[in-house]
Amino acid sequence: MSQPSAPTDRLPDLTDPEHLEFRSRTPLWLIVLKWLLLAVLAGVLVYVSMQLAEAGHVVWVVLVAFVGLCVLAVYGTRRAVPLKYLLPGLLLMLTLQIWPLAYTVALSFTNYGDGHMVTKEEAIGAIEANSVRPVEGSARYQLNIAVPEGQDPADGDLVYLLTDPDGVFLAGDLEGVTELDPETVETGLTGRITSAEGFTVLSASEVNARTADLNEFAVPTETGGIKAIGLSEAFIGEPTKVYDPETDTVTDTLTGTVYVAEGASFVPQDGQGARLPQGWQENVGFDNYTRALTDPVLRDGFIKVFVWNVAFALITVGSTFLLGMALALLMNDERLKGKGIYRSLLILPYALPVYVTALVWASMFNQDFGLINDLTGLHINWLGDGNWARFSLLLTNLWLGFPYMFIVCTGALQAIPNDVREAAQIDGAGPLRTVRSVIMPLLLVAVGPLLIASFAFNFNNFGLIYLMTEGGPFEGGQSQVGSTDLLITWAFRLALGGTQPNFGLASAIAVFIFIIVALISYEGFRRTKALEDVN
Amino acid sequence: MKRTSGAVAMFGIAALLLSACGGGDDEPTDTTSADAGDAGDAGDDGAEESADAGDGAEETEAAGGEEEEEAPVRDQSAELVIWADDVRAPILTEFADQFGEEFGVTVQVQVATDVREQFKNATNVDQGPDVIVGAHDWLGELVQNGTVSPIQMSEDVQAAFVPEALEATKFDGQIYGVPYATESLGLIRNTALAPDEPESMEALVAHGKELVESGEAEEVMLSPVGQTGDAYNAFPWLSAYGGGIFGLNDEGGWDADNVIVGSDETIQGGEKMAWLAEEGALNVNVGHDNLEALFSEGKSAYVIGGPWTIAAAEGAGIDYAISPIPDFEDGGETVPFLGVQMFYVSSKAKNPTLAQEFVNKYVPNADLQVALYEAGDRPPALQEALDTVSAEDEDIAAWATAGEGAPPMPNIPAMNSVWGPLGQATSDIVGGDDPAERLTAAQDEIVSAIG
Repeated sequence: MSQPSAPTDRLPDLTDPEHLEFRSRTPLWLIVLKWLLLAVLAGVLVYVSMQLAEAGHVVWVVLVAFVGLCVLAVYGTRRAVPLKYLLPGLLLMLTLQIWPLAYTVALSFTNYGDGHMVTKEEAIGAIEANSVRPVEGSARYQLNIAVPEGQDPADGDLVYLLTDPDGVFLAGDLEGVTELDPETVETGLTGRITSAEGFTVLSASEVNARTADLNEFAVPTETGGIKAIGLSEAFIGEPTKVYDPETDTVTDTLTGTVYVAEGASFVPQDGQGARLPQGWQENVGFDNYTRALTDPVLRDGFIKVFVWNVAFALITVGSTFLLGMALALLMNDERLKGKGIYRSLLILPYALPVYVTALVWASMFNQDFGLINDLTGLHINWLGDGNWARFSLLLTNLWLGFPYMFIVCTGALQAIPNDVREAAQIDGAGPLRTVRSVIMPLLLVAVGPLLIASFAFNFNNFGLIYLMTEGGPFEGGQSQVGSTDLLITWAFRLALGGTQPNFGLASAIAVFIFIIVALISYEGFRRTKALEDVN
Repeated sequence: MKRTSGAVAMFGIAALLLSACGGGDDEPTDTTSADAGDAGDAGDDGAEESADAGDGAEETEAAGGEEEEEAPVRDQSAELVIWADDVRAPILTEFADQFGEEFGVTVQVQVATDVREQFKNATNVDQGPDVIVGAHDWLGELVQNGTVSPIQMSEDVQAAFVPEALEATKFDGQIYGVPYATESLGLIRNTALAPDEPESMEALVAHGKELVESGEAEEVMLSPVGQTGDAYNAFPWLSAYGGGIFGLNDEGGWDADNVIVGSDETIQGGEKMAWLAEEGALNVNVGHDNLEALFSEGKSAYVIGGPWTIAAAEGAGIDYAISPIPDFEDGGETVPFLGVQMFYVSSKAKNPTLAQEFVNKYVPNADLQVALYEAGDRPPALQEALDTVSAEDEDIAAWATAGEGAPPMPNIPAMNSVWGPLGQATSDIVGGDDPAERLTAAQDEIVSAIG
């Protein structure tokens, strides 16, 4: 540790032994602390990867190991100094931004959604398990679960001790049932066998520990199999839907219908009747993208929604910025007294959660009971008429958004040196001219990127729309394309509000929205760069 | 059921929002990143909240999602894990402890704020509970995703339940849950304004209008409609003349291929809605957000609501009485949907044996059912418990009467395609559109959405 060996650590004048002396004086406790922290982190990562390995996520174990090695390589050596600062950020970016993005894109190529959440194997398992029904007219038994005497409860052969409705005692194993001598059996109040010679009765916890074995276990009878219901009852049941792996079909033994695998679920071979409810997840290629582009409802609504979406974001950013800036300019005037109070009051709308504000505004816009119509004496159908609803939203968003712009502008204004203003005054510019030609360009350099970020935010302002109007009002006798729908709320309804909530389709649409917003933001930032040349 | 939020998708979408906001930003300042963070949250929680609000109407559960919802994590130390909402959980703990003592196992009842969603997510990663407590109309979705197991209920136990409640636990002929409570819409009357139970809808409207004219009330009647409508609350009117949403299949279950929203019978019901709107009894400006406030302020003598509406009236100190929704004079029978609350066993249960034992032996128990009534103020599903409770609590007796003969709300997945279009159609009808035209259009929309 005393000799820095890495060339990157060496500054030009480090050949000076004094510097070497200085550099080697890292306190011991810091080094110990560093390695302690690294050891703790390694321990955590090992634990996490063990959990992951247990759950069978091999790829994830590799990833965790990779992250661990990265951390060790960066902090365990004296190399890679810039990375020491960047690594936490990079890791956070990977987990919080890149990974969800990749996950969403990956999801958009599948049919993941309600009814298609599990693997085909699991779906078939569910179909068979859910189809088990009691055999017509069959008996129910009182049950206790045991193992033959002398065997270990943890892995001995399972035996059902049964009492049939006539009071006959039976022992059932994989071979079938054999009658027990009543003399050798003790029973409880309900006739349930509590102990029997030659058998060790399992406790509830012991039964519980053998869940996996019990799931496989059934006592064969002529008509089906005796299965336990819970701990104390058994019935004769048989699956009424049977899967045949050779033909990849499911046959319903009650109706005789044969189901074939098609489109990630089982549909009747003859096309008559409904498909089985349990489907499975599979790769669908570009189907979701094709559907998003060709579905008539999606296509026709798109232009209408897109235009309003852009207008909503632009007008919101414009109006909030203008109001915020105007107020900031006003508050920045030295002649104004009590600025602190005004400023705190102006920030209030920003301090309230949008859920509360949006709901309050929605009730204020109510045609019959709303505050606005009550006060003004108007009888405007604010939220029931398309244009008024749009106007209401813009007004609400202005209220919600201007304090943010006010804060930003106040900060930026205070950064503008006073001498610039004085210079403008000396050049004979009036107050308006000063704002337009001097203050605005300087202000825009500072707040330009924020305006673009605000645009992107409002472009996807799901919360406000959903709380105020749910995308409505829906005009023209349909319930799909609302007058105030943004792309995000509209896509949300189409993808997740239909018969089969379809996360695959939702992801495909989210990818489209991402591309649109990314393009707009890119163009915006390119232009802000040009603005920076003003300086 | 308007199936809206899916955590995975919302996570992805929220992440996209985040990256869209922050992605191109070279030098993210504190304010932008904070703002972008808000954006993600807003999208996510907004969806959650409105999904809850939507569900509130349909699941007939008044709780909104005003608090940050934290999903419970399966208690690994317990052998039997039950998830229930915060009202039922404390009651269940008592019985779960008894169960644990009897069988010598550890039982844990955990509070889940959004059981349906959290169960789905947790089960996907094998961290789900063994038993959940929830509404019967989740069933289609749960079966579809293979997350619940059938219950092999013996015939004696089946016979102990109110028949309609048992009917609601069936999907595709199999029983999937053990019911404990029922709920339905009824007429709640402010007895100060309307001392007598109206004999018919016409009489109700007439008395309501008198009150408005004399200035004692402002609204003839309250029923949540809203700008986007509410198919659950509109059902009594739409089905009054034999119409409704789905026809029945051979097995007596709902038939997704037989949508009857546009049928003559349903349109006749739609015309009654139009008439009620004309008389001022239905109003698009009355919705879930302001209905309870209007009733508690005494602005109307009548409200069509469920047990969840009572709390507000009680809180405001209003004397009320509950009765079935009055029928129309020309023979139209206003029957609401029945909602049923029940216990499901997870198909991925770590301990299916214990879970089955609990729901099969403990839930069909009068003590447990009465205890759950005390927590939820809803009629028990077990006939014996219902009789006990009805004898003491006239509200419950009234709710049970109001729900008599009510068909269980369809629990097939196709209902997801119904809520939106049918709700909007009812709102438009109340707003003045032609019922025949709007219901036919809604029928087309629903049929094409079911596909």
